[in-house]
Amino acid sequence: MSGEALTIALAGNPNVGKTSLFNELTGARHKVGNYAGVTVEILEGEVRGELAGGRRLRVIDLPGTYSLTPIAEDEAVALRGLVGRERPPPDVVVLVVDAANLARNLYLALQVIELGRPLVIALNMIDVAAAAGIAIDPAALAAALGVPVIPTVARSGEGSAALTQAAVEIGEGAPAPVALEELRARLRASPEGPGGEALAGLEAALGDPLRARALVGARAADTVALVAADQREAQAADGVAPEAAIEAAAALAIARYAEVDRLLAALGHADGARSGAPAMDRSARIDRILTHRVWGLAIFIGVMAILFTSIFAWAEPLMGLIEGGIAWLSDQVGALLGPGIFTDLLREGVIAGVGNVLVFIPQIALLFLFVGLLEDSGYMARAAFLIDRLMARVGLHGKAFVPLLSGYACAIPAILGTRTISSFRDRLVTILMIPYMSCSARLPIYVLLIAALMPSDERVGPFTVGGLVLLGMYLLSTASAIVVGAIYKRTILRSPTPPLVLELPPYRLPRLRNTLLAVTDRTMDFVREAGTVILAMTVILWALLSFPRPPEAPAEAGAKVEVVAGAEDAPIVHSIGGRVGVAMEPLLRPMGQEWRVGIAILGSFAAREVMVSTLGLVYGIEGADDDDRPLREAMREAREPDGSRRYTPLRGLALMVFYVYACLCMSTVAVVRRETRSWRWPIFMFVSMTTIAYVAATLTFQVGRLLGFE
Amino acid sequence: MSPRSLATLELGVAARVARVAGVDALRLRLLEMGFVPGTQVRVIKRAPFGDPLELEVRGGHVSLRAAEAARIEVEG
Repeated sequence: MSGEALTIALAGNPNVGKTSLFNELTGARHKVGNYAGVTVEILEGEVRGELAGGRRLRVIDLPGTYSLTPIAEDEAVALRGLVGRERPPPDVVVLVVDAANLARNLYLALQVIELGRPLVIALNMIDVAAAAGIAIDPAALAAALGVPVIPTVARSGEGSAALTQAAVEIGEGAPAPVALEELRARLRASPEGPGGEALAGLEAALGDPLRARALVGARAADTVALVAADQREAQAADGVAPEAAIEAAAALAIARYAEVDRLLAALGHADGARSGAPAMDRSARIDRILTHRVWGLAIFIGVMAILFTSIFAWAEPLMGLIEGGIAWLSDQVGALLGPGIFTDLLREGVIAGVGNVLVFIPQIALLFLFVGLLEDSGYMARAAFLIDRLMARVGLHGKAFVPLLSGYACAIPAILGTRTISSFRDRLVTILMIPYMSCSARLPIYVLLIAALMPSDERVGPFTVGGLVLLGMYLLSTASAIVVGAIYKRTILRSPTPPLVLELPPYRLPRLRNTLLAVTDRTMDFVREAGTVILAMTVILWALLSFPRPPEAPAEAGAKVEVVAGAEDAPIVHSIGGRVGVAMEPLLRPMGQEWRVGIAILGSFAAREVMVSTLGLVYGIEGADDDDRPLREAMREAREPDGSRRYTPLRGLALMVFYVYACLCMSTVAVVRRETRSWRWPIFMFVSMTTIAYVAATLTFQVGRLLGFE
Repeated sequence: MSPRSLATLELGVAARVARVAGVDALRLRLLEMGFVPGTQVRVIKRAPFGDPLELEVRGGHVSLRAAEAARIEVEG
């Protein structure tokens, strides 16, 4: 047997310290995995140190759930992990139970017992339970359930050695005690009534009572696809009327809770049906302030302001450092290799591409650090509680607030932050809304256009025209995101407003180590999965905007090729991208733009702010991204052959509107592909946003002209 | 006393779940969170905008929107 790993699956309710225990057992070395068809993650690691007999111990951390009825993705994944659909089932299940909240935690325990997998219970947070005056006798619980119960304090590591030992013993096939067999038999008894009949019918059709229970739950919640059902199972499930499936699953839930209350009574506890919530006393006192109708909202706004400032402003110096490092590396390579196409490829394609990936790390890490600490402390649930009323109006869950807010800083961390939303459809709606939020990369474009084209001395009341235009862009983007979200929610991603059903867990001091591990996972995942796409796109975009090069004038005397008659002859104009920009001009005319802007738009697919430096290059101005004043001047001075101004306030406004909507950010496209695991949604997003941008900019220009603006 | 909606229960008053209405996944979700017949529940608080509610059930606190809590009929 030695050498072959024993597999432990960790299951448990959310907020019971499961991840702490996982990190304690594995020494935090793990990899992140996914099951096919779902985006919920599972972690895998190995127990540190040598076990008796030299056997290795593999630990799988399943998503935290309140139940195994596959109503949503996370429950379906937990169920699949426990029964072993796509890989062998675990040798033993370690169920982490919150000692301070047996009245609900035992529900999941009974479901695991029902499945018949070898089981050990980690009775976690016994210290917290004791402090709340809830004395739990592990031996009595073990006797009542017929399952080994090991008291643990995952935060300090107390009990984890005993837990590992018990898990190995059970996993290697200790016989089940009589109490467990009796309990299991009671749990597996068919419920009475119409639900029971439906369940019995499905059992007969499948010849597998446990699978029938999983499928009846899936049928009730319309999630048969999530439980990895084969064709025969899916057909059998379809044969059950949805109402009957719901009755069956409801009868099972009621029967399990009756068993929970019977167990609690036998243990001498006030049964769950009667007790209050002593473990919540301290949290309820904290909530008198944190969810107070005045103070609670004020603190919420303060916390969100800090979170937003961290990714909007605090990330800035770190990003500058990364950009500086990349620039330094690029210079070193340039000096080492000398000028040439290969050097350019390395510097402007590969190294710039790596920089385009790395530059997001500070924002991603900071957002996940804050979100992780807020989640662990229990505050995030309160934030969702406070703001849910407003989010529900759009048809979204309170948890969508933080990702949407983050979108004002940058869509990349914001889209990664949607992982806390459990329904895939709602997550997708949020992901599709985020790029409409006016991110910080749009700001340099607004600033350039306002400074170059808007009258600086005109005021409306106390406000400058430029300031009002800027405010208008932010309002337009916010309103558009909300409208788009509401439309998707009612059309292509039609689904009811997700139920809130949100646990407000007891407040706890967050564990920095757990959070930092999660931050590292997220960041590395971004670098690996989205980074490669961003790097490849950077190289391709560089090539498109660099080749072919302009013919060298001195060598080919008199044969100077002009792409556009009479235009400034910047090298970029000769490239494929430049030529496409020129060719696009008829398309751009209706929205009041010309070919130079066309090239800048193409260049800004790398990232929106690159529009400024690309437009600079068209005018032969280097480094417009550092100092855009020469470019402003050039734009103000620019005249068409007939003597009219090339850029006017109205044209500038139309271009800003274009940038409010256009999906000019390859990193967003790459991240959406990563998060939705297909090219379908990023392509949909790109096409829809660009179409809306074109229509909105054209409307702005045409209506503005009709109204007599210039 | 005849059953009434949990959403209309006064703050701090304990009552028992009589039944959870409806035929959909939400009914299942509520039952699985512990709102089974006979269980004691209390409304702890309403969120600042009047909705959702904070409820005490089975040793923990759970937040439901008023529309969801209205599915739960309580008595006594």
